[in-house]
Amino acid sequence: MSLLSVEHVTHRYPTARDDRPVLNDVSVGIEPGQTLAVVGESGCGKTTLGRAVTGLLRPLAGTVSFEGEDIWKLHGHAHQKYRRSVQLIHQDPYGALNPGLTVEEAIAGGLRHQRIVPRREIRGEVQRLLGLAGLDTTRAFMDRYPHQLSGGQRQRLVIARAMALRPSLLVADEAVSMLDVSMRISILDLLKSLGTSNGLAYLFISHDFGVVRYFAAGGRIIVMFFGVVVESGPVEEVIARPRHPYTYLLLDAIPEPDPRRARKRRSEATRIGVERIDAHPADSGCVFANRCPFVQDRCRAETPPGQRVDGAEGHVTACWYPELVPKIGEETADQAKTMEAAAKEVT
Amino acid sequence: MTADDTAHVIPVRAPEARANGNRPATLLEVKDLTVTFGKVRAVEGVSLEIEQGKVYGLVGESGCGKSTLAYSLLGMVQAPGRIAEGAVRFRGQDLSRMGYRELRRLRAQHIAVVFQAAMSGFNPVITIGAQVEHILDAHPDVYPDRAEGRQHFAELLKLVRLRPEQVLRAYESRLSGGMKQRVAIAIALLLKPEVLVLDEPTTALDVLSQRQVIDVVRDVHERLGTTVVFVTHDLAVVAELAERVAVMYAGRLVESGTVEEIFFDDRRHPYVKALISAMPSVAADPSTLKSIPGQVPDLTALPPGCRFEPRCALAEPICHEVEPTLLANAEGHAVSCHAANRGVVNTGDTGEGSGQ
Repeated sequence: MSLLSVEHVTHRYPTARDDRPVLNDVSVGIEPGQTLAVVGESGCGKTTLGRAVTGLLRPLAGTVSFEGEDIWKLHGHAHQKYRRSVQLIHQDPYGALNPGLTVEEAIAGGLRHQRIVPRREIRGEVQRLLGLAGLDTTRAFMDRYPHQLSGGQRQRLVIARAMALRPSLLVADEAVSMLDVSMRISILDLLKSLGTSNGLAYLFISHDFGVVRYFAAGGRIIVMFFGVVVESGPVEEVIARPRHPYTYLLLDAIPEPDPRRARKRRSEATRIGVERIDAHPADSGCVFANRCPFVQDRCRAETPPGQRVDGAEGHVTACWYPELVPKIGEETADQAKTMEAAAKEVT
Repeated sequence: MTADDTAHVIPVRAPEARANGNRPATLLEVKDLTVTFGKVRAVEGVSLEIEQGKVYGLVGESGCGKSTLAYSLLGMVQAPGRIAEGAVRFRGQDLSRMGYRELRRLRAQHIAVVFQAAMSGFNPVITIGAQVEHILDAHPDVYPDRAEGRQHFAELLKLVRLRPEQVLRAYESRLSGGMKQRVAIAIALLLKPEVLVLDEPTTALDVLSQRQVIDVVRDVHERLGTTVVFVTHDLAVVAELAERVAVMYAGRLVESGTVEEIFFDDRRHPYVKALISAMPSVAADPSTLKSIPGQVPDLTALPPGCRFEPRCALAEPICHEVEPTLLANAEGHAVSCHAANRGVVNTGDTGEGSGQ
């Protein structure tokens, strides 16, 4: 049984200008202790997925289950256990902390409310958690308010607060993207070591493949585009051999912190794909068709189902023509021709 | 649209008169600049020259003074901030001695800026086209013939890979983040500035929009010959765009040089080396990544010697006591570190020395 499973979840926001779902029939499972990374551009639905998993949003259709039970049918102790077991780490640690609560109060509240430890042990437990998160355990530090902490310290406090409730799943939504570069690795390392020592599962949401590769090594990844999971599989496999054009573009377009690699020309496919980023998602057929450098007639007519990629365990792509996707950093003459033809067809 | 489509509409700017032979003219000169906000010295003793036609990246973490430095290039140090020492000169003229009208002209026609929040800087209740009309209203001296201004803006939109007919009638709420960033760049270029200052141009964008903004800025530089100064915390964007790089740490310029020097030279600032090995990337081997211990010092309680000393793996006793000076070698690659500067003879006037 999965720790958490999302089945056929579809959601629309009532305020959206069009009625395009922000999650469109999304199904994913997270096993105990496993890391599932979610990657995609802004507006692809990755944050909405995190909100659905944490029960902050009730999707219009489909179910989210925790240990086999629909989270919206849980009551009493079972509901409390779910709320305790699934914790969210936001992108903005400042916004996630009550400015009027000290460091100690921020952590103690959950301990008290969920009766994690007896009352008289709360202070000691707060200190233990602060130490766990790599923070100072002195009285002076525990009396500080969020505005007196650095960005890295705030994020560590948010993590300590989440750990207070003995979670089994942490949903980390862009947990390091607002932090300075020098802090990122240390926060990712903290999350990783907490995961290993406590058997935590992660839903790790990020737009940054570099961060995902570092954090989610050995785990699974799903790539989302406009509410649809377009590709999924083991992290290393998907990054090394993407089989969906969108994943390929995301990987080939990444700015590299190395001038030698950065200056090399991107593939022709990427150039076309980047030129088309302002196109609206397709209304019928493949959702990526209007932006795809390899688009064919069939893509506009029929929606591609997820299909297994040969030779790779658990690698699935929702593309009719995965064989057209070049290897990262390579492009054959045939592929360039196919793309030229495709480009003409569109313009 | 391909790059070729724009080739005929926007001519490559003729190379302008160059000072003393083949050395490009210095457009902006920052000399020993110190900017204070109350007790905090946000920028301290920074000297930098911006030469015509080059692309400069100002890098650093939050609070290092990179944005304050960039805004001082526009004469935009605002109260309670003030220039405590030093000066910024545009073509030799001290910005702090310019009056309101002069500064206004400077910012309109010579140095344009795209703010970090440019994406939220549009008027939501009028179309993009109407906002451009307001700009043309305000600057009849640049475009006596309004049609010419409109025409130029349409060309600029094409240069930033947008369709004029789509954008001009649109309200900002209809544009994506990446589109707004590109419209903001086109607007900044409307009055034909010599220098374009971009504050964190790719920060809030997703990977494909980042790629496009990087390509657009390269095109602007190559086709219009615009000098570009951009501020970022992202070394990947520096690697992609910058020709010359200035790295700041806790208010000080700690290293400046060509992008190759910053990334590959043997003689580099330990902070810069550490920053590069702390960047997760798809290509980098995850096992080589290392975080930088400790945190950026509080600008109101700076350590006595080198500002990076408390976090530096190579720190020596002298680093705790004496603040290193920025020394440039013969190539003009300047580093402010006792260890890195051992044996380096200061060549003096490279334009980017500490000036002390």
